[in-house]
Amino acid sequence: MSIQICGVGKKFGNFVALDNIELDIPTGELVALLGPSGCGKTTLLRIIAGMETADSGHVKFAGEEATHLHARERQVGFVFQHYALFRHMSVFENVAFGLRVKPRSERPPEAEIRRRVMDLLKLVQLDWLAERFPSQLSGGQRQRIALARALAVEPKVLLLDEPFGALDTKVRKELRRWLRRLHDEMHISSVFVTHDQEEALEVADRVVVMNQGRVEQIGTPDEVYSNPASPFVYQFLGNVNVFHSRLHGHWADVGRDVAGDGAAKTPADGEAMAFVRPHDIDIERGPVVGGLEATVQDVHAIGPLVRVELAHDSELIEVELTRERATVLELNKGQRVWLKPRQVKVFSVAEAALEEHGSGI
Amino acid sequence: MKRVLPGFGLSLGCTIVYLSLLVLLPLSGLAFKSSSLDWSQLWAIASGERALASYRVTFGASLLAALINALFGLIVAWVLVRYRFPGKRLVDSLVDLPFALPTAVAGITLATLYAGNGWVGRHLEPLGIKVAFTPLGIVVALTFISLPFVVRTLQPVIEDIEPEIEEAAATLGASRLQTFMRVILPGVFPALLTGSTLAFSRAVGEYGSVIFIAGNMPLISEITPLLIISKLEQYDVVGATALAGVMLVISFALLLGVNALQWWAANRHHGKHAVSL
Repeated sequence: MSIQICGVGKKFGNFVALDNIELDIPTGELVALLGPSGCGKTTLLRIIAGMETADSGHVKFAGEEATHLHARERQVGFVFQHYALFRHMSVFENVAFGLRVKPRSERPPEAEIRRRVMDLLKLVQLDWLAERFPSQLSGGQRQRIALARALAVEPKVLLLDEPFGALDTKVRKELRRWLRRLHDEMHISSVFVTHDQEEALEVADRVVVMNQGRVEQIGTPDEVYSNPASPFVYQFLGNVNVFHSRLHGHWADVGRDVAGDGAAKTPADGEAMAFVRPHDIDIERGPVVGGLEATVQDVHAIGPLVRVELAHDSELIEVELTRERATVLELNKGQRVWLKPRQVKVFSVAEAALEEHGSGI
Repeated sequence: MKRVLPGFGLSLGCTIVYLSLLVLLPLSGLAFKSSSLDWSQLWAIASGERALASYRVTFGASLLAALINALFGLIVAWVLVRYRFPGKRLVDSLVDLPFALPTAVAGITLATLYAGNGWVGRHLEPLGIKVAFTPLGIVVALTFISLPFVVRTLQPVIEDIEPEIEEAAATLGASRLQTFMRVILPGVFPALLTGSTLAFSRAVGEYGSVIFIAGNMPLISEITPLLIISKLEQYDVVGATALAGVMLVISFALLLGVNALQWWAANRHHGKHAVSL
């Protein structure tokens, strides 16, 4: 079932949680709402679920008005960050809950409930835990049970609020791949909220990047990562080096006029900020045309990568190299090198200032 | 065996001495005193017509008071935990008032209010409801003094229930009533049982507030504690001890039963298996 969100706004007192959100989620897609905490992503998810009411705008399910439907009439499955399992019920009863509370006329017979619950438990690979209680399960197991419980009522839409936020890194990685597979098997629309860009980029078909109650960019993981629409998206999705620079027509003069000098502090026409990812910079031992001269401050080997910290005037620049490249270069502390960015994205200072204004929230 | 925290021996010693002085010694004195009677005498005193009627009044009214508080205490505790409203702090401290108020003051106040010419009694009398100086008055007094026990026991437990649980039930299609009956109530039930038991025990032992509102008519509105006092006033120490012994046995048996019930309620959701992580 598709979901349309038209002009949804929500305020808590003076705080604008959502500002005129427009979003279209087609049937069968797995969409990630990505953003820093306080950006409104959870509020938006709760409005889709009917647990929160929007101040303005509409929510439509499959083209039909759903704005005023109660949560229990929306046929959505919801998975909470902290599982929200019923502590006094066994795993089996937790999953069966949605079937048992159906009106008598729609309630399946006991044998049917049993069969469906066991099928779901097999789907989440935890059928051997049916008689246990939630307190006896690990975090990862609890979240899979919560998912089975949400799926028991055959929802048209699956909503997940930071589903892996409370789990450790290894379990989190396992579970998100598993969620991807599950989503492909179930053929339903899923929306999940996360502040973990890696999670969003790995799992989702489309990523909705949000900031301060607004949608910054909607696109495939590849689009939002390699072609960010705003400085915020650039900075939020991975590490980035920011250079203050001056625009000359289509050229951003990063090389000679970098931050630290007086000119960059007074925004004027032609002032700009250039964004370069650490892995989009190459280091050369000798001078290169258009290269920036810098001094090596520190070299760390982190797993498959080597992270080099360099000083250029007063700016600190981070560069990520492959191990092979670092071996060839033989970098030492204090060494003078030349930097050459492979890919740069330039935004005007006005745009960038707008972003920085509220990024602390 | 080496322990991380020192002082186990000292603190256990303190506990035993303290409990012995305060609880065990007076109780064994009671048992010792009543043992000067032989069984037939004891039985005769304890099963006298007035005594039996007083047990009925005491335990019946206390049970009723505990049940009333179980219902309304749950509502009060729920409102105090879940909602924000102006004057919440005031209402919250109001709950403790029955703890702080001298029970005699409570008794006199209630008696004045519910008497035929009192503020409340005046409106109940034409409807044929007499509260003051009847067993109903005893229930009112006992309900008043035992309210805080239920509320204070339930509050931390309700705070522990995440609101998400209710939202989860709603998205699964449960109505409000189903959410309450299947999700909320089973969660608070052990605490509700504890609170009501405390309220009941407190009500059984209550004397001060009841005697002012009960009317104290033998066989109708006379509570056992009052019967004990009147025996003492007639220097019938042995008779008083016999009645006290009976109350002690009944109360202890009831508490033991409820404790067993609580243990069962608290443990049935945790199974026998060790936690697997």
